Amino acid sequence: MNVYEVFLKKAGKEEFRHAGSLEAADDELALVLARETYARRAEGDQMWLVERRHIVVADEDYVAPNADKPHRHNDGVRVAERRRAGSDRA
Amino acid sequence: MGRSWGSVAEFEGFLDAGGIVEPVDAMPDEYRQHVFRFIELHANSELMGGLTERDWIPKAPGLRRKLAVLAKTQDEIGHAHLLYMVAADLGVKTRVEMLEDLFANRGRFHNVFHYQAVTWADQVAIAYLVDAAALISQQAVFKNCSYGPYKRILRRIVAEEGFHMRHGEEMLLVFAEGTAVQREMFQAALDRWWWPTLHMFGPPSKPDDALLRWHIKSERNEDLRDKWVQKYATLLTGYGFVPPDPDLRRDPESGRWVTGEIDWAPLKATFANLGPDSARRVADAARHWNETRWVREALESVARRAA
Ligand SMILES: [Fe+2]
Ligand SMILES: [Fe+2]
Repeated sequence: MNVYEVFLKKAGKEEFRHAGSLEAADDELALVLARETYARRAEGDQMWLVERRHIVVADEDYVAPNADKPHRHNDGVRVAERRRAGSDRA
Repeated sequence: MGRSWGSVAEFEGFLDAGGIVEPVDAMPDEYRQHVFRFIELHANSELMGGLTERDWIPKAPGLRRKLAVLAKTQDEIGHAHLLYMVAADLGVKTRVEMLEDLFANRGRFHNVFHYQAVTWADQVAIAYLVDAAALISQQAVFKNCSYGPYKRILRRIVAEEGFHMRHGEEMLLVFAEGTAVQREMFQAALDRWWWPTLHMFGPPSKPDDALLRWHIKSERNEDLRDKWVQKYATLLTGYGFVPPDPDLRRDPESGRWVTGEIDWAPLKATFANLGPDSARRVADAARHWNETRWVREALESVARRAA
């Protein structure tokens, strides 16, 4: 048996969202089970199934350092201050 | 991979601050065991509930009801499947191990599925009272559960329980507005299901309840039970039905319903799988598991060929 991750999407709306997982013998049976388990009431009209073992998983230590790079953002504070100073004078 | 915590105290601080635990995290083993047992109990209950529901597909009155019961059966079996997947990812038992424990009478499931549904009115009472009670409990867990995968899967389950409850309300109306025989039928079912539904919330939560401390559950059993009593005592008496509790009364000052003393012995019996219908139900589920072995074997041979 293989474990599959199920993703659903409604046409024209947002991105594919993870719905959950299931166990099935092969892709065809996984599709049947996914439809009957996760999409009985039109929760989506598009579905992706990915075998869990094919998912490439990044370690948090590898991903997290990107949260600490202020030079990739601009808080707009200096420009806002200048604007405020300008309107005070007016 | 995943996060880890220096001590249980540090982990509890993380949970108290609203932290959400994911399966890859190095959670304390006691937390893992507690959250696993809680989800396994829920999964088993959905499955046993689905099997009872299935028994009523041929007996439900009329095609429309049969289709609704069919859909509900599929929902409950689906809920079990979703929950077994979430539980299995905790690495304590595999999905098949959980099922085999259940069918070998080593598993536990909610008290309400240890009783016999005698007439169609019992099925209506189950949908009207028990599904509503399950919905109240699950909503409370869904709101604040610290275990991410369980919280996320509960969103779907809670939504579908809502359909069951509304179907129950509609069916109740048929009995409430029906003939004298129909009203008597529902009253008899209410006599059987009132106390088990009160029991379903569990005995009053202990002050040191680990499920509450670890934000697996967020509300005390007695508070959830009270929520249910306030709503259903009002509705049932409004329809002219009489809950089988001679001491049930409205407090004159607060206007709130107060129940009589709850006898916990029947609940304790179900904890040991010694309820009135436990043995038959487990044996019936085990028989189905054995009768469908050839299907699983066929699927496994497909999987082996695909590999
Ligand atoms: Fe359910
Ligand atoms: Fe249900």
